[in-house]
Amino acid sequence: MDGIRVGKRVIGTQAPVTVGWENIPRVEGGPLKRFFFTWFQPTMLFALLAFWYYAPNSIAKASTAIGIGIGFKVLLLGLEWVNPRFDSWRLTWKELVTDLFYVGLGYTLLRIVDDYIGSDVMVKALQGHFHADKFTWFMALPLLVQAFLISFIFDFGQYWMHRGMHNWYPLWLPHSVHHYITQLNINKGAVGNPVELFLIGLGVGGFFDFVPRAFLLAGAFGMAIGTYQHINVRFNSPRWWRFLFNTTEHHSLHHSQDYESTRSNYSGAYIFIDRMFGTCIDGEAELLGMEGGRRMSIREQMTYPFTEGWKTIRERFGRPVAAPLAVPAE
Amino acid sequence: MNLRFIDWIWHVRGSLALAPEQSCDDAFDRLDPLFQQTGTSHERTNGTLVFRKKDQAAQDKMSVFDWGILRVEKGSAGSVLRYHLTSRALLFCFLAPLMFLGIAQFTMAVVKPEQPTAEVAGKSGKASDASQKAAAKHADVPMNPIDKALGAPAPEKSGKDGADGPGKRGKKPSPTPAYVFAGIFAALYVIGRILEDRLVRALFRKRLLGPSSSSARFAA
Repeated sequence: MDGIRVGKRVIGTQAPVTVGWENIPRVEGGPLKRFFFTWFQPTMLFALLAFWYYAPNSIAKASTAIGIGIGFKVLLLGLEWVNPRFDSWRLTWKELVTDLFYVGLGYTLLRIVDDYIGSDVMVKALQGHFHADKFTWFMALPLLVQAFLISFIFDFGQYWMHRGMHNWYPLWLPHSVHHYITQLNINKGAVGNPVELFLIGLGVGGFFDFVPRAFLLAGAFGMAIGTYQHINVRFNSPRWWRFLFNTTEHHSLHHSQDYESTRSNYSGAYIFIDRMFGTCIDGEAELLGMEGGRRMSIREQMTYPFTEGWKTIRERFGRPVAAPLAVPAE
Repeated sequence: MNLRFIDWIWHVRGSLALAPEQSCDDAFDRLDPLFQQTGTSHERTNGTLVFRKKDQAAQDKMSVFDWGILRVEKGSAGSVLRYHLTSRALLFCFLAPLMFLGIAQFTMAVVKPEQPTAEVAGKSGKASDASQKAAAKHADVPMNPIDKALGAPAPEKSGKDGADGPGKRGKKPSPTPAYVFAGIFAALYVIGRILEDRLVRALFRKRLLGPSSSSARFAA
């Protein structure tokens, strides 16, 4: 494959990718369907922001946010059924079970771990260390500005953690497992080795969550933008949306079977962070995964970072095995 | 114990009558594309086809199965395809509720119930000073004039740490999600056991009754 030159690099030499918005297919169907899949994303974003901005204090609670989050995912699963981006990414029973297993781990075991050694503890310690009245200026900012800053700081941290994972072998080992997924569906963001899921969740954006409503609004930004990274729905995302926000197109390229394409689009929600640091590529890919699309079993996903790490350590530091003397052929 | 009493959990068995004139080779030829997938190996001998799948792609129509044997048997009413397939995914889904029930028990054992605020304040000394200051600050959360003008509700006057507060913080993990997931996986198992049985039967039937792969290739 010849590949396509994007800036200083050539992508798509190992697997087919599509580059440039003008080459990406649009939603097909009647005017109502096209209208719906063009305006769904912005409408949901502004509706969620309006809800959290005006909801009475008795409703603006974490439990409401969890309920909305689950309802939103169920709705998106319905959209995957109605308007899939690729037929080859259709959700099967086995994929759903696998994805929900990881979602379940996130809600249970990882939640406990986070409570003891995760970002929640870091943030609590930082907030205890710094005197809260030093941040009155932050609390006096408009709610939406606070919310944006909380989500931006979190995403900025996640960008560098994610980029680090693709550039430093010890971090790549736990993250590599997530790159063995061969299709994008709504719960695929949860699939990965628990060590990686813990690492990627680290962030101090929550440090600024002095005002509960601002934190809930920040969650709405994350949910109404970041959720579309892993989804099998074809949207006609408006031009401004895809310039600012991470889309399925961007993230499918990041998961492509083409190595050079995977080294792009690292942010979780705000693709303009990638634009700032020169790692953004606008495009999409259908063939996803590693090793030509080998699907990893859950058991291997759990052990792979450790077995691979052990192999590497042995290769580097282990006792060299005496090679048999080469006997020249007569 | 005879495994046959419980192996229906992850074993799928069934049979399909072949067309009267359909030979064993023709039937297996028609099914052959199903076994030409990545990660699949198979052997055909004397009316029997055995396949194995490893790291099968999500796009493989038989990805839920890991091993299987298909046999064409001749009976008085004609030839019949009998199949016996095994699925680790079904077994995993059957066991997953037990795992989540275990996690629920683990959560209850690890996470201690929340102590009353006064007791916590008495025990934690300096740390509680900081949180008290934070709570005091919560009582005086300033509100930006823009938010006032746009009509956003005024911030609550009480620091609600420990209650149903913002984000994940302020709430101890509870066993409820683990119980919910145990229920979800129990339901998914029942759905999967029925659905995958029907899907594979429909897949075999479609292949056996549809155009043969060679004629389809020729037509293409």
